[in-house]
Amino acid sequence: MEQIFNYILNLGQRYYDAFFADTRYLAYLEGIKNTLIISLFAVLLGVVLGILVAVVKYVATGSKNPVLLGLNKLCRLYVTIVRATPVYLQIFIIANLIFTARNMEIYAAITCFGINSGAYVSEIIRAGIESIDKGQFEAGQSLGLSQGTIMKSIILPQAIKNILPALGNEFITLIKETAVAGAIAVTDVTKAAQYIGSRTWDVLPPLFIAAGIYLIIVLGLTKLLAIFERRLAASDHH
Amino acid sequence: MITTKNLCKSFNEHTHVLKGISETINKGEKVVVIGPSGSGKSTFLRCLNLLETPTQGEIWFEGENITDPKCDIQKIRQKMGMVFQQFNLFPHMTVLQNITFAPVKLGLMNQQEAEKKARELLSRIGLADKEKSYPAQLSGGQKQRIAIVRSLAMNPDVMLFDEPTSALDPEMVGEVLQLMKELADDGMTMVVVTHEMGFAREVATRVMFIDEGIVKEQAPPEEFFSHPKDPRLQEFLSKVL
Repeated sequence: MEQIFNYILNLGQRYYDAFFADTRYLAYLEGIKNTLIISLFAVLLGVVLGILVAVVKYVATGSKNPVLLGLNKLCRLYVTIVRATPVYLQIFIIANLIFTARNMEIYAAITCFGINSGAYVSEIIRAGIESIDKGQFEAGQSLGLSQGTIMKSIILPQAIKNILPALGNEFITLIKETAVAGAIAVTDVTKAAQYIGSRTWDVLPPLFIAAGIYLIIVLGLTKLLAIFERRLAASDHH
Repeated sequence: MITTKNLCKSFNEHTHVLKGISETINKGEKVVVIGPSGSGKSTFLRCLNLLETPTQGEIWFEGENITDPKCDIQKIRQKMGMVFQQFNLFPHMTVLQNITFAPVKLGLMNQQEAEKKARELLSRIGLADKEKSYPAQLSGGQKQRIAIVRSLAMNPDVMLFDEPTSALDPEMVGEVLQLMKELADDGMTMVVVTHEMGFAREVATRVMFIDEGIVKEQAPPEEFFSHPKDPRLQEFLSKVL
């Protein structure tokens, strides 16, 4: 009974030590900053790569151009490798392959998660494009429009409504995945929590604080996406 | 105007949909193509503007071999309007945008000219008040008439119709057929795949029966419907008439 009482009394002190003492909240802030920077730039890189891969795949379908077909094979290889290997391994490879200099860890993390995310984004975009009725494409063709115009002005404006929600989910997944960046000594939220735990000799409180931080970021983002989707739906004439 | 030479289409080794169709469609003709489902009649129509690529044979349009890889098919398609069973209006564009998008994009008209032409066409079909509507706000019959107008806005030399009334509620079939009839009366060259025998009888200059991938019989409508010779056609007509 007394033990439980003491435990509860101590809790306040433990969490104070884990957050406020020695201005440790600054370490969390640094972690949040890095987590957000990595996620944001990785998702941008991922979207660019994803669009490129999806476009190559789309243009190569039915084409006989050997350059395009080669590119398409390359893209397929990229997606396959990324999806079939653990991201924890990928980040070590990237860090040791390209960004071997000190203080380059954050670029290694951005590159790794960007490449990783690109593979998934390309599938999201492909699925979005394929969700549009083939008749839309044929109608554009029958009017004499070019493939590029049909894509840009007819297919993509419709596909974007299916793509954006899935892209939002990808972003949320990515934010959580960046916790792996600690493996190459990037101080993200998770790593910051670990550092603090090793400093205070009390591991759990900083981990729970880190969990709370992720929760707030993800829930906030989910809320934002929901608002965004409602806006899109409101402009929908279907 | 359109000539096909030994037109063949297979989707794989086992499904030969078209088995050699050699036909000529002249300017001003209204050819109605009928036949059982799976006979290849839609495929034949879709080959004419290369929505389907023939596996063998040639298609000539206005003196040009359009099956030649060097041919600019986009340019050719501007002269061949097509109307689909499912309308295929662009749902994210208003009626006016649907009609004006292609002519403006392709540089055939500027925005003002295209809009003027679109409004003319819309008032001709009695839908002038719908120019700001989106396709989802229209009935099936209205959608299909606008799809026809969208093709007309390109000033095509020929119009291809792929079962234009098959997806419509019965009470809306009439308004679409009426518009097509007016088009025919204006002298438009038309190729129509349909199950509307009344339309074939009234509007066609020639009715074509496609079955098992070949043209089994063709004749002007009076003769076609009153004295069918091919046994498969006799059987088909006995079921649909």
